[in-house]
Amino acid sequence: MNNKSVRTQFAKQFSFFMAIPAFVWVFICFYIPLLTIIARSLLTRSPGEIIPHFTPDYYAQLFELKYFHVIWRSLLLAFGTSVSCLLIGYPVAYFLARKARSAKNILLFFLMLPFAVNLLVQAYAWFFVLGKSGLINQALMMLGLISDPLNILNTPVAVYIGMIYCYVPFMIMPLYAVLEKLDQRFVEASFDLGADWFKTMWRVVLPLSMPGIVTGFFLVFIPVFGEFVIPNLLGGNKQMFVGSLISFYFLITRNLAVGSAFTCLSGIIVLTAAVFTYWRLKKLWA
Amino acid sequence: METKSIKLEHVKKNYRDEEVFQDLNLFIPGGKFFAILGPSGSGKTTLLRLIAGFEKPDTGRIYLGNQDITDLSIFERRVNTVFQNYALFPHLNVFENVAYALTIRNVPKDEIADRVAQALKMVHLEKLMYRPINQLSGGQQQRIALARAVINRPDVLLLDEPLAALDLKLRERMLIELIELQDALGSTFVYITHDQSEALTVSDSMAIMNSEGEIAQVGTPKSIYEFPASSFVAKFVGTTNMFKGTLRVDENGERIVIDTLGDFAVVAPKDKSWVYDKAPALMSLRPEKIEISKQPIEGFANHIAGTVKNIVYQGSSTRYLIEAGDYVIHVFEQNEEHFPTEVIDYDDTVNLYWQKENVVILER
Amino acid sequence: MNVRSFFSAYGLRMWVSAFFLFLYIPIVVLVIFSFNESPTLYQWGGFSTHWYAELFQSAEVWQALRNSLYVASFATFLSVTMSLLLVYFGSNLRRFFPLFYGSLVIPEVVLAVGLLGFFSLFTVMLGFSTLIVGHTLLGLGYAVPIVSSRYDELEKHLTEASLDLGASYVQTFFRIILPLLVPALVAAAILVFVISLDDFMIAFFCAGGTTQTLPLYIFSVVRAGGSPMLNALSTVLLCFGSMLIMLIAALRMRKIFMFGS
Repeated sequence: MNNKSVRTQFAKQFSFFMAIPAFVWVFICFYIPLLTIIARSLLTRSPGEIIPHFTPDYYAQLFELKYFHVIWRSLLLAFGTSVSCLLIGYPVAYFLARKARSAKNILLFFLMLPFAVNLLVQAYAWFFVLGKSGLINQALMMLGLISDPLNILNTPVAVYIGMIYCYVPFMIMPLYAVLEKLDQRFVEASFDLGADWFKTMWRVVLPLSMPGIVTGFFLVFIPVFGEFVIPNLLGGNKQMFVGSLISFYFLITRNLAVGSAFTCLSGIIVLTAAVFTYWRLKKLWA
Repeated sequence: METKSIKLEHVKKNYRDEEVFQDLNLFIPGGKFFAILGPSGSGKTTLLRLIAGFEKPDTGRIYLGNQDITDLSIFERRVNTVFQNYALFPHLNVFENVAYALTIRNVPKDEIADRVAQALKMVHLEKLMYRPINQLSGGQQQRIALARAVINRPDVLLLDEPLAALDLKLRERMLIELIELQDALGSTFVYITHDQSEALTVSDSMAIMNSEGEIAQVGTPKSIYEFPASSFVAKFVGTTNMFKGTLRVDENGERIVIDTLGDFAVVAPKDKSWVYDKAPALMSLRPEKIEISKQPIEGFANHIAGTVKNIVYQGSSTRYLIEAGDYVIHVFEQNEEHFPTEVIDYDDTVNLYWQKENVVILER
Repeated sequence: MNVRSFFSAYGLRMWVSAFFLFLYIPIVVLVIFSFNESPTLYQWGGFSTHWYAELFQSAEVWQALRNSLYVASFATFLSVTMSLLLVYFGSNLRRFFPLFYGSLVIPEVVLAVGLLGFFSLFTVMLGFSTLIVGHTLLGLGYAVPIVSSRYDELEKHLTEASLDLGASYVQTFFRIILPLLVPALVAAAILVFVISLDDFMIAFFCAGGTTQTLPLYIFSVVRAGGSPMLNALSTVLLCFGSMLIMLIAALRMRKIFMFGS
């Protein structure tokens, strides 16, 4: 083999190694940490023991009602937010994708703008609307409907509103993407065959936008489940959600083992809920 | 000339768990226009990629002239390719695309300008020098791809179904231009196609591949058309009538006995092991070799009578489908006269005549 | 017209208008109160820009901003470079690419505690490096699909054509592939940069006590009840956000940012 082909052989091996860093990174920074969580939740080391042994104790500790309350609450919130975002966001996405002509770009700009700002700023903005001297209370008092300011901030209602506010763009974007690509001829064919607006929506447009609905649903459902910023800021940390409990374990009590167990448990539950919902959505419209 | 020939010896190649070539041997003469014809999936593109260097053979050697290029990388071979979809660089304009092979070798700027102008002149597109690629039509893109590939005067130019995306008239014109280009350059052109009329038109010699990745026959277009080596070749190139029968060989010559049709005088190849009395054989008879007439004609060695089942008028010629025995026979007649003396119509009884030298006897 | 056709004609428009109102009322109020003379929240004292002056003089804010930019730059550089190398050199490994999307699928809090647990296991000091590591991981999850889908759009044979004409792999990379991938690289870089700047979750768990990023600063101020200076900061961030979106629109990269199906 002459010199040149040795060099090209080297180049081929070299090129393979160039691709590796990304894989190495994701393994070290993602999969290994995940494994450590799982490992921490299942292993323990008695004093004097070098090799840790398997124990179900940490999970056993979780089988108290209060933990299920937390998980259930988060599931409800996540589910409620997702459905609300879908109901609120679908018409908006539809309008943007198909009905807005000249205004489309401007509207898209305004849609994306709050999203380009921090989640924290978005939550903070609601202080001024929901607070004791906030917009809603001042307006209601001015109209004479109430005499004492309502306590909206630091309640679950505030958390719910905040969640929808922050996550509805995540629902609208995939819906928009799918609806934009929807061939107008499907709608025309449906009309031509005698269906009215409602039937066409239900039987043609919604099923065809399923991929967008599913994507949007998961973009909202899973993050909301793990959220603790909004419950913290807008809910006054009064109620524990999954995210807040996890941060409590890891940062405050530093109980890494039980924290890991709880994380694993919630992880499994949210994934199961997600898969279940996906399956049901598919059955509904596929 | 011989430095530009291509030889593949005992090439074995598996591609994604499928065996494409088991033991491929092929010699492509230098400085000529060579076509490789075959159905889709016959491996002709893989063959091209082996020559270009995009794939390496599992075993076997490849030679360019006397040089063993099997281990050479793509950019070291003096072989250039024109891709089926042209693969023009979208972010470079016409000039930059054509000049690419020179730019990367740091050829001085004025030399590049000269040679690009020359190359574009060869493909008659000197006016489009600074056009962006996305503004070119299909035919123009194709010619730019050509110019780009020949600017460095490679020893071998590989063309992968280059005319597939063009319409008929454009294709016909490009075929002629390709022949002229090859003549002017003197490089070996290797032209891959599944269109047999293209292959027959452009090539000095050609190879036919079957769907198993084997070379069925190599030869000039005429020898392949007139003397196919197998029924696959006979059927793939052009149309033919294929009959199954039994050979009768005796001191008077050869005959073939075909069920439901009769026996006919033939000329069989002399020194073949499968040619003997009572051997099974196939007879290939091309439609244009048959004379069709309602009146009897003297002087032909073979004759059948049949009924006209179908007539397809094609302007300069007419094709007839004649039912005889268990067979439907294709006949091709040129429309030589404005007012034909004899009018053949549906369901007429007609006579088919042919000479014994005009058939090909095949083993399989 | 009757009620029903009124609704069908205008219902959609009313809904969308109500929606945008919902979207913007909080923001508008926020911005207005950034000009509030009075230091007490919610009480309008008059128009003033002195909170902005205070903002620009706040060392804490500048430090947090600096830290955030520092981390974001590194994370962007690392993740975009790695995904470029991955997509170009590992194109025959592409069936493993979904491995990178895991960080997008699980809740971010799980990712953050995972990293925290991992760092504590190896007693790594929490600070800039741990933040950069986490943000790069996040960034990979976004950069890889963007770059890889753009790479897939490229005509399959461009690399081969370049090699065929005599260019080496290196020349091919710099003359053909890289120029054609630049739009995707820029889009990915912008996205990752913004995500890193805005990220709260990973910073909260992995930054340690000493390093403060802008989101962490904001969080602490909101927790304390908020301040008009925060309104000013928010307004400034809003302006930058809109400039960013206009930049993206100008570069016609809207398609890449819309999460497809």
